[in-house]
Amino acid sequence: MTTFGQLVFSGLLIGCIYALMSMGLTLIFGVLRIVNFAHGEFLMIAMYGAWAVTAFLGLNPYVAIVAVVPAMALFGVVVHQVVISPGVDKPHLVLVFATMGLSILMQNVALMFFSADLFDVPPMFDGQSVIIGPFFFKAELLLGFMIAVFCTISLRWTINSTYLGKAIRATVQDSEAAMLMGVPVPRIFMIAFASGSALVGLAACVMMPLFSVFPTVGLNFVLIAFVIVVLGGLGSIEGALLGGMCIGIVQSVSSYYIAPAYGQLFFFVLFLLVMIFRPEGLLGRKGESTVGIN
Amino acid sequence: MSVTSKSTIETKPRRASPGRWWMKPGHGSVSWLELALLVACIALVVAPVPHSYQDVINITLLWGGVALSWNIAGGYAGLISFGHAAFFGIGAYTSTILLVNYGVSPWLGLWLGGIFAAAFGITLALIGARLRGPFFILSTLAAAEVVRIGALNWTSLTGGAEGLWITPTKSIANMVFASRSAYVALVLGYAIIVYLVSKAIERSRYGLVLFAVRDDEDAASAAGVNPLTARTGAMGLSAFLTAIGGSLFAQYFQFLDPTYVISPELSFQFALLAALGGLGTAIGPALGAIVIMPLSELLRSYLGAAFQGLHLAIYGGFLVFVMLYLPGGIASALERSTGRSKETP
Repeated sequence: MTTFGQLVFSGLLIGCIYALMSMGLTLIFGVLRIVNFAHGEFLMIAMYGAWAVTAFLGLNPYVAIVAVVPAMALFGVVVHQVVISPGVDKPHLVLVFATMGLSILMQNVALMFFSADLFDVPPMFDGQSVIIGPFFFKAELLLGFMIAVFCTISLRWTINSTYLGKAIRATVQDSEAAMLMGVPVPRIFMIAFASGSALVGLAACVMMPLFSVFPTVGLNFVLIAFVIVVLGGLGSIEGALLGGMCIGIVQSVSSYYIAPAYGQLFFFVLFLLVMIFRPEGLLGRKGESTVGIN
Repeated sequence: MSVTSKSTIETKPRRASPGRWWMKPGHGSVSWLELALLVACIALVVAPVPHSYQDVINITLLWGGVALSWNIAGGYAGLISFGHAAFFGIGAYTSTILLVNYGVSPWLGLWLGGIFAAAFGITLALIGARLRGPFFILSTLAAAEVVRIGALNWTSLTGGAEGLWITPTKSIANMVFASRSAYVALVLGYAIIVYLVSKAIERSRYGLVLFAVRDDEDAASAAGVNPLTARTGAMGLSAFLTAIGGSLFAQYFQFLDPTYVISPELSFQFALLAALGGLGTAIGPALGAIVIMPLSELLRSYLGAAFQGLHLAIYGGFLVFVMLYLPGGIASALERSTGRSKETP
């Protein structure tokens, strides 16, 4: 029973970190209604950024947050202006393939600069675990969990209780009406895209002590992120957290009791089942095209 | 709803289009461009070209055929799939397992692979019957991952990560040829058949049904079209033809492993070739493969050694540019650039 509890709680923690990584994707979808197929590559370059700050400046990866997050927000602005904004009024296929092209571009630029080698940062807390009751937790996981929960709460607060949040909600509900009411919709899109990228930057700093980085690392994580956001309801922030927790638990329990390789199989099957029976996701609204942040 | 109605790249109405004389098929005949491409391809098969070039020709024709097959679902029916590598892999593995373990000729095995893949494609279309836009795309991606992980772990059947080898005992019955030209001719035949099937769909009533479902599913079903049969049919046919391409791939390279044959990257490749060439036309994916594949091989051989990854970075950048500024792909760009002066009143 202790083993099972341990697996569930560890899965929960790692799931929250996955959720943090997916939150940018769901935010961007919720506001701009596009799936960013380069999301994994955003994570990859942010992880390289966190690694570079740690390796060259000798800083802690958690301190790297102050450098990586603004840098990723800026990167998000640039990508939005160059790639997303020209395509946002066109058929959605255009941006599907354009972001796909962007992901190929970023992957291979990373390959040119960093080669295919794996980079990682030295362990943070001398591999120490935090002991709560009968359970042991890696300190990095616990810290990541806290950051993820904090992020969800502050994102929710921003959307519910600030003027910017109100403008975002208006844009999600009806971008034309919002524009008529004086909401600068293109700027809201840019802010949403930049915030999504900044969230990826934050996730990368949290993940760097746990995972190695290499040019194609994004693909593994983006598939998990897709599963999480669809499971939770594409566009829903709490949904992403819930979806992340489910995936984390499924992965950790099935890896232990069956085989690590099947852990992945299970969550893709779970994903397909959700698609068949509840395509709007756990917390999404009915009718896929109306899914948004609410 | 808004997702679907925006979901297609604007394609010209087929029959009434004021096409260019050299691209425009006459009444049920082939256009000059198609004829020229065909002659060029046959010349390349017959001509004594060095082996390394034959590899390029072969992969160009094969990928062209698969991109055309992808286009039947993605371009005609609007079912954008990022999981076609699963069909490709099912075809490749079925014929190879039958040949290696049971001595069944690939000439028979490829049909069986096609049928399995078609069944899987139809299942996928049924699973995704309610899904639109990005949701459908993501479900195909997930389904292909299920197949890949399955193939990777079902070691007794597929050889797992170590892959499967076809030991080359040369005989026509085993589809293992002594000369590469024979393979190239075979793959050319495949590409031509898929092209003709695409053209036939384009001109048929069924094609119109697919376009209607793609452009506005609700309007189509209000007009008495059953979107489900249209979607399942297109996906099944597309999967069938893709799987045959997979069998031919296995016979040519004589080695298979799930990490390549069923990878998401391969699925993206098929979709991207079609999108770069021009979705929803037969000439588009064919042009996409003919232009992109030799170019990328050329770039790789010049740049690959010095700058690892540069040729693919260029490819990615090119893709972003084409999608944003020429969403109709190479085919529409060709039509536009030369069309103006030659337009007949």
